[in-house]
Amino acid sequence: MSSSHQLINNRKIATHESKAVTLVLITVALFYLLLFLGIPLFAVFYEALGKGWALYWAALQDPDAWSAIELTLIAAAIAVPANLVFGVAAAWAIAKFEFRGKSVLITLIDLPFAVSPVVSGLIYVLLFGAQGWFGPWLQEHDIKLIFAVPGIVLVTIFVTFPFIARELIPLMQAQGKEEEEAAISLGASGWQTFWRVTVPNIKWGLLYGVILCNARAMGEFGAVSVVSGHIRGMTNTIPLHVEILYNEYNFVAAFSVASLLALLALVTLLAKSIVEFKVMNNGSRLPHGETE
Amino acid sequence: MSITIQNLNKQFGNFTALNNINLEVNSGELLALLGPSGCGKTSLLRIIGGLDVQNSGKILFHGTDVEQRDARERNVGFVFQHYALFRHMTVFENVAFGLRVKPKKERHTETEIKRRVHELLQLVQLDWLADRYPAQLSGGQRQRIALARALAVEPQILLLDEPFGALDTKVRKELRRWLRRLHDELHITSVFVTHDQEEALEVADRIVVMNKGNIEQVGSPDDVYANPTSPFVYQFIGNVNLFHSRTHALWTQQPGDAVAYVRPHDIDISLIPQQSSLPAVVKQVRAIGSVVRLEAAIGQDGEVVEIELSRERFNITPVAVNDEIFIWPRQIKVFEA
Repeated sequence: MSSSHQLINNRKIATHESKAVTLVLITVALFYLLLFLGIPLFAVFYEALGKGWALYWAALQDPDAWSAIELTLIAAAIAVPANLVFGVAAAWAIAKFEFRGKSVLITLIDLPFAVSPVVSGLIYVLLFGAQGWFGPWLQEHDIKLIFAVPGIVLVTIFVTFPFIARELIPLMQAQGKEEEEAAISLGASGWQTFWRVTVPNIKWGLLYGVILCNARAMGEFGAVSVVSGHIRGMTNTIPLHVEILYNEYNFVAAFSVASLLALLALVTLLAKSIVEFKVMNNGSRLPHGETE
Repeated sequence: MSITIQNLNKQFGNFTALNNINLEVNSGELLALLGPSGCGKTSLLRIIGGLDVQNSGKILFHGTDVEQRDARERNVGFVFQHYALFRHMTVFENVAFGLRVKPKKERHTETEIKRRVHELLQLVQLDWLADRYPAQLSGGQRQRIALARALAVEPQILLLDEPFGALDTKVRKELRRWLRRLHDELHITSVFVTHDQEEALEVADRIVVMNKGNIEQVGSPDDVYANPTSPFVYQFIGNVNLFHSRTHALWTQQPGDAVAYVRPHDIDISLIPQQSSLPAVVKQVRAIGSVVRLEAAIGQDGEVVEIELSRERFNITPVAVNDEIFIWPRQIKVFEA
């Protein structure tokens, strides 16, 4: 007991800095945070509510705003589950099996992180637009992807697909495949092994990935902007709607709608912290999220 | 249930993990696969269990080819080096797992499952830990739970992959005696992998010594220790002194290049020359428990020979550092170099 007590004391002494140094470091960090995060966040709500609640509500109740909110929710509601299935399947394959082309798959998963979102959008326009590779075929069959909702959903899926897979791969690799092997040798089927052994082990990492994926899906601007065509009330998502309002000098409305995204960010942050806290308390590994 | 392995081969890319293995595991015996890391012993175990697939060759359980049966259909209990307990389940649920995943028709009632799990937990003497999670257990406890879990599905074969490899020495010794007793009670055909010769010698009915994907020798612990059939087995099991024919033709007694292998405890000492003895100078004397270990230098280049004497024998001829002595082998084995 006494020796461990001493150890703690020693450690305190070893990392002890003079009060001035501590103060300077904390001040610099806080100032930086305030300047780049705090003030903008405050500005969003200040501008949104600056002219009173009535105008704020009015901006949110505008039919075009509603349609933007609706479209954003639809895109996220399709992209997140799609990437959930893809992410789990890809991570499961990469972490638990050896196969040819594994490193190619890993690289491909990272592609959306490496490519600028605007370029991602452009790729889809080049593929599916009227002048694109599949454009004539799509027109013949009367399918409209670009400048329509399906295009927005597609690019949202593309831009957000690394989030869940990237979250799970290191976690599942660290956990190894012994538990799965044990389950199978005990007579469990692949499906039983997946639901009873694999999923419970990755649930917090999975939730963490879903939260990040959702935040990005709702907030994506660049790629969606290219394929959407900015048709009011039709193909505008929240971020695009904010831009249009702002360009029309309708600042109150722009910031009111923007405040929704800011709120989403705050909720995401809170949910992320809760999940991290749960993971720490569970004693299992913290999902890799340090790079986010 | 007996296991027959016929002409088994396994390659990982260019690496040959198993080279034409033939082996018979008798029903009810406890067999050790012993060898250095990378010798193929774990690969062999995993292939028997259906967790890996051989490139060629056959595995028969009680005379029946099991190639078409995957791991879940082989009715084999597998115990992993790092326990592989389900970390999100209690000890009880871990042991119950195999019973709960059975197809509906074969599944027992909840009361029956409860009864059997507690029976198994009593068997491994850890009934009081039923509600704990694996992270709250010590390594030795985890491995006993892993064993209980493997036994829950009443396997006909038990496979253990370095079951005590991750434990400290004291727990390891306790557990291997316990495993031996358990096996004497249950008589399940068991194969365990180890790189620890002491463990194999103490626990197994028979030992299979493996090296670089080949079986070097199969035999009882006594047999493998006393009559190694190859230089590798001689060196891997127990300490041994080597005498090359070039320098010590007196002992190798063979024309051409040969090496004589002599165990430290097969060397005797004397203060006066004996027939075919070598002069040596004592360099170190260490009493360890009931034995005394000497290091003596022989020849001009001062080659060091290890000698192990019982305390009684040492007391008859007590020697000290720098004493001149004569050594000769009581037992010697010569292999061509």
